[in-house]
Amino acid sequence: MTRNRPVISSVRCLAAVFVSLTVLACLNLFGCGLHEKRHESEPVELDSLGEQPIEPLPLTVDFDVAQAALGEILFAEPRLSGDSKVACTDCHHAEHGWADDQPHSRVVGRPESPVNVPTMYNVRFLYKLSWGGKYESLEAHIDALMTNPKVMASSWEIATQHLSELSSYRQLFAAVFRDGLTPSNLRQAILDYERSLVTPNAPFDRYLRGNAQAVSPEAKQGYALFKSYGCASCHQGMAIGGNVFERLGVLRNFFDDRGHFDNADLGRFNITKREQDRFVFRVPSLRNVALTAPYFHDGSAATLEDAVTTMASYQLGRELSEPDRSAVVAFLRSLTGEYRGNSL
Amino acid sequence: MNESGVLRASLAIAAAGFLALLAYSALHALDYGEEEAYSRDLRRVQAATAELNERVLKSRSALLSQYDPLVHALRDLHALHERLKRVPEFLGRSAALDMRARLRDSEAQLQQKDELVEDFKTQNSVLQNSLHYFPILANSVIDRARVTPAGATVASRIQALISAIMLFDTAADTESTSRVQSAQVELSNAKQAAQELQLNHELELILAHSQIILERKPLTDGLVKQILAVPLPRIALALEEAYSLHYRSATDRALILRQILFGLASITIVLGLTDVILRLRRSALALELATGELRQANAALAREREKERQLGELKTRFVSMTSHEFRTPLSVIVSSTDLLENYSDRWDAERRSDHLERIRSAAGSMDRMLDDILLIGRAEAGVLRASPAQLNLDEFCRNLVESLEHSSGRSHSIRYSFSGDPQVTLDERLLSEVVGNLLSNALKYSPTGSQVDFDVDANDEQCKFAVEDRGIGIPEADIPRLFVSFFRAGNANQIKGSGLGLAVVQKALDVQNGTIEVQSRLGQGTKFVVLVPRDLGPLAASKSSSNEL
Repeated sequence: MTRNRPVISSVRCLAAVFVSLTVLACLNLFGCGLHEKRHESEPVELDSLGEQPIEPLPLTVDFDVAQAALGEILFAEPRLSGDSKVACTDCHHAEHGWADDQPHSRVVGRPESPVNVPTMYNVRFLYKLSWGGKYESLEAHIDALMTNPKVMASSWEIATQHLSELSSYRQLFAAVFRDGLTPSNLRQAILDYERSLVTPNAPFDRYLRGNAQAVSPEAKQGYALFKSYGCASCHQGMAIGGNVFERLGVLRNFFDDRGHFDNADLGRFNITKREQDRFVFRVPSLRNVALTAPYFHDGSAATLEDAVTTMASYQLGRELSEPDRSAVVAFLRSLTGEYRGNSL
Repeated sequence: MNESGVLRASLAIAAAGFLALLAYSALHALDYGEEEAYSRDLRRVQAATAELNERVLKSRSALLSQYDPLVHALRDLHALHERLKRVPEFLGRSAALDMRARLRDSEAQLQQKDELVEDFKTQNSVLQNSLHYFPILANSVIDRARVTPAGATVASRIQALISAIMLFDTAADTESTSRVQSAQVELSNAKQAAQELQLNHELELILAHSQIILERKPLTDGLVKQILAVPLPRIALALEEAYSLHYRSATDRALILRQILFGLASITIVLGLTDVILRLRRSALALELATGELRQANAALAREREKERQLGELKTRFVSMTSHEFRTPLSVIVSSTDLLENYSDRWDAERRSDHLERIRSAAGSMDRMLDDILLIGRAEAGVLRASPAQLNLDEFCRNLVESLEHSSGRSHSIRYSFSGDPQVTLDERLLSEVVGNLLSNALKYSPTGSQVDFDVDANDEQCKFAVEDRGIGIPEADIPRLFVSFFRAGNANQIKGSGLGLAVVQKALDVQNGTIEVQSRLGQGTKFVVLVPRDLGPLAASKSSSNEL
């Protein structure tokens, strides 16, 4: 059935409700039987059948399909910015896992971004956004970016005014929203698009759901190391991170070794002004991590291997052997999910 | 009508009050679904807090390997607070304000708890990692160090640190803290030996992890204690209690409101019914009144018609009677004249004078009759006036009696008496019509030789004339019509008369404000009693005569 494919649809349309109900019904009807069958033919290799620090992403999520489709168009629309020059996609690149492949984003007419741009995938599962955890919700985040003079230098009203000059947008909004093009509808469309950016069914999620063949033996070993090294004490949960703040450099001083430091390195301190939050960052989600190089808030790790080495060294005080590191990297690569049914 | 105005106004007020209260109660209606959801949310604050605390403790004991459950519990608590801020409408504004104030308090505590949990996660992640990795690392170094004699010292010092850390992990007091610290110092002093064994990096790591445990365990435990000490459950309990109080007062209010509504509805209905009944009754009354008036008008009209008819009849009869009554003396005159013309030369003087006397008598009777008719006519036309003048009543009556005795040839004896003051102011001519007619009737309708009593009494206010005969009397049935012109009683046919005498009496009395009463017994006699004011003002007379028309 649909268990191997994500079904992403809207609750607002009856069809989607019907599909979800069908899926649920099928899971209820056949889930038990499938589960037993799997036990017979494919022994689960998870070292513990009990609780795992990582949980798979849900296969379906709720959002408005039409609004999200409109939001996708808007995401690439420079008219959202005050000077009609900068679009969301200027920093969030679809081909780089909705992150930026540059350590700091460079956009014409804007100062260089102080931090590496994080991915947009699975943002709906994050409870705080930005490296310092400044924003408590997607709404707060997008509102701040719209008005930030260093980013969009705009407002929902200005963007609406820009878009209303094009009849195609007026028609699109009229088709999607009852009251057509308004600042709040514009915002809502983008939010729905952001909420639609979910990547379920990563090989490792399939493994967690019981498919032992979904990941390579090396990745399985990498997962075991990931847990035993202590990576999983921070990178855990559904998003494999994103739900806890941690100081960068627990056992060694990261910034001393890097050689310089700027204001962005203060991390959460910039928001809370508490001494204990100096150099503290939101532990990033490792979902699709293979797609989002470079790594860390400063984009200082160019490859996944570099990032793993740095993390092991500064956070855990470990020097990883080459096989161990590649096992961990193999595990991390198995975290790349599917978007709209296609592997990323 | 003022009464109905008051009734309507109070009806309008009662109805308006009822409707206003109804609208108010509809707006503030107790929504059981909403109430249930709200109190369930209130209870869930406690449950969610307990759940959060449990998850924190589990995380601390490494029983929970991810923080999502903590994040979710906190998110649930925040969502609960957001929902609880929408206090059910029926609680009222002051209750909502109170609840929101308490919720702000609770939210502040939750915010504090949120921050504590945030710090806890940060500290706990590192602590758990070190607690997990420190013994593994330390034991592996011991195994590697033990092989050489120099390494044995290092191994024993690491062992000592393990023991110190284990002790510290169970009871982090000053003694165990200083024991860890001294074990750390001991191990640091063995760095040289470790370097020789190429274990210096591992030694640093062991020391670093032990330092993390030493620093972060009290910190983490302190955070856990603080998290558990956040008085969220107590506030939640107070919130629940406050809510149940507000709920009770709201239901009390609703009950009172319902009673008032019921009362107002009853008042409205009663007033409305009263109004309807009053209106019905009023319209019935009006109908009755209108019917009555109509009936009265009808009756008046009928009376008018009857009167007219009677008048017409009277006139017809008057004319026919008059012509008839005139014919008798006329025929006497005509026949006597004829006889005298043809036989006067043959008749003796006595016979001629007899016929001449007859003519004179007939003409005289016609003259009298004409006088009577004229008087009645004048009275009915309203032009008969009394002309009062000074009069000696006794003298007047005595003359009248004498002249009647004379004209009747003394066939009856008239007994006359007078008492009182004889000086009166009356119309002599009208009075003589009254008294003369009554006396001549008395003589006419009583047997010859019988006595007629005539008693006059003039007191201070009025004069009373009583004429009593011992004659044929008047049938009782005829008495009501006695004073109608030309009416003659059934037993008077044998006796000559015009039927005008009593009518003249009546008319003459009317203009003098006088009254007349009659008592009669058939075959035994009749008594007339006339009362006339002693002093007749000229105005009173005219008024009375016009009344009669």
